[in-house]
Amino acid sequence: MIHTTTLDENITLVRPGAERLTAANAKMFKDEVTDIINGGANRVVIDFKNVTFLDSSGLGALVGVLKKIGHRGDLVVSGLNSDVQQMFRICRMDRVFVVYKDVDAAVQSMAEYQ
Amino acid sequence: MQKTLEDVDLMVMSLKAAVSMVLTGDDAVRCEISVTEALTNIVVHANPKTADAFVDLIVTEIPQAVVVEIFDPAGAEAFDPRDHVKLLPAVDPMAESGRGLGLILKCADVVRYGPVDGRNRLSLAFLKAGRNQSRPKKPIATQSGENS
Repeated sequence: MIHTTTLDENITLVRPGAERLTAANAKMFKDEVTDIINGGANRVVIDFKNVTFLDSSGLGALVGVLKKIGHRGDLVVSGLNSDVQQMFRICRMDRVFVVYKDVDAAVQSMAEYQ
Repeated sequence: MQKTLEDVDLMVMSLKAAVSMVLTGDDAVRCEISVTEALTNIVVHANPKTADAFVDLIVTEIPQAVVVEIFDPAGAEAFDPRDHVKLLPAVDPMAESGRGLGLILKCADVVRYGPVDGRNRLSLAFLKAGRNQSRPKKPIATQSGENS
């Protein structure tokens, strides 16, 4: 379901490939991102530009991949719309994830801190 | 709706469209989150485990709120989320699960649960814009024989 692109600075851009990241597809999302991390990706931007809704299962999957990458690399998120931002705030995920306005801002920041 | 996760998304999108003229902005998002979590909880945990069981949902507009009533499948054991919830501040931020019940309660303005016509009903009320400045501590309305 996910779409991946390798950018400069060895950064992997992941887009969930679904408008809603919920219990119906969260496991698939987590499994596919985990495969990418296991394959060597250690600088990952997950872009939610095209995601309109995220439930607790989607959030749990996101936490799961953050834990998977752990101290081996960086995982940040970008492009949260206002609804997804609200979910992040309610669940205090804005304190867990580094969030950028868009992919460009995320990539620029990651490149600076390489 | 049938008791499948795919149907949860379809039902919630229909609900979102149906209430879009009444609930807007953050109120609409709270409704979407709360109902999604409630339906997902039923699909994943409630008996019977078969997908051909039905979950029924009734949406009603009253002057001060939108009320969403969710009926468990016939034969499901009672499960009042208020009795089992782990409030969101108590959830480990790095936990991958355990937020669903907290979100149901956090995002709805009024939560009630109890038997209605032989089935378990979760009632979630979402106050309209300008009505949620101070959330009521008591239900908007009370029906006899129902927990509130």
